[in-house]
Amino acid sequence: MRKVSFFVLPLILFVGLAIFLFQGLFSDPREHESTLLNKPVPSFVLPDLMNTDLTYTTEVFVGKVTLLNVWGVWCVTCAVEIPFLEQLKNEGKHIVGLYYDQDIDPDFGIKTVERVQQEVEQKLGQLGNPYAYNIFDVKRDLSLDLGVTGAPETFLIDKQGKVRLHHIGDINPRVWQNKFASVYQELIAE
Amino acid sequence: MMRFKALIFLSFAWFSAYTSASEETYQFETDAQSALFFELTKELRCPMCQNQNIADSDAMIAADLRRKVYQLVNEGQSREEIIDYMKQRYGDFVYYQPPVNATTIWLWLLPLIFVFIGIVLVIRSRQQKPVTQDNAKLEAAEKLLEEDK
Repeated sequence: MRKVSFFVLPLILFVGLAIFLFQGLFSDPREHESTLLNKPVPSFVLPDLMNTDLTYTTEVFVGKVTLLNVWGVWCVTCAVEIPFLEQLKNEGKHIVGLYYDQDIDPDFGIKTVERVQQEVEQKLGQLGNPYAYNIFDVKRDLSLDLGVTGAPETFLIDKQGKVRLHHIGDINPRVWQNKFASVYQELIAE
Repeated sequence: MMRFKALIFLSFAWFSAYTSASEETYQFETDAQSALFFELTKELRCPMCQNQNIADSDAMIAADLRRKVYQLVNEGQSREEIIDYMKQRYGDFVYYQPPVNATTIWLWLLPLIFVFIGIVLVIRSRQQKPVTQDNAKLEAAEKLLEEDK
């Protein structure tokens, strides 16, 4: 009895530790579940990026399945992701951009809207434009309410305007297939 | 060479602009509010850069969270209200003190269990084993000793 436990106990401890550490190899510390899941998009009143006279509220999400993509011209990964997003748009997906600028200090604002528009036009001219329109998160308030940590991030929003999926990082064919495709089909069918 | 120097100068200029950007000066009406602000920015974790609090981090999200904390403190919100505000948006992750629930309870239980097991082991090893005489074995040993002579 003593001999058995002398070998078995350390073995169990070792295997347990090995499994724990092995899992750690594949876990992404940046991934944590959005607190907004299955809740409506927080209310906002924000202008269109290209035409600031136009304003949007949460009502723009009602009635269709939307991919809300948080991005900016300063974001390198966004530039990688945009061609694939354009492909999704060409397949008929409704993609809305949530644009925020890094150089705008909400308290001082050192950059003009015209300058931002110019940069965006140039960038989308190079890469292609996947967005139906861009919501301009002027002071990054909506981003904060959405729990955005950086860019790119993407929210899948259902026809009732509720958040159903939150992805941190870029969307590529693999991410789309593994994470988005089945949920998206479900939401379309709803 | 000139160009290289200009580059170095530029990078320093950029750096100094950058550091001053992260040292925003916030004005508070009362000392208590200012104390609460500094306390909270130390206890709230930056969601972007895992192991820094929002006071330490230069990430834009940390600056935005500081600004939000400042705004909420000035509105007269309490410590708990501000922590809840952040948790609502960024999850339990954003606050360094984890809540006690079914998964996290092990953080407190496991050390207790280990200490308990340790105490049990120590007590058991201290207990002296009763000496039992095995006459058959003794005789066999005697015999061996005899043979060696």
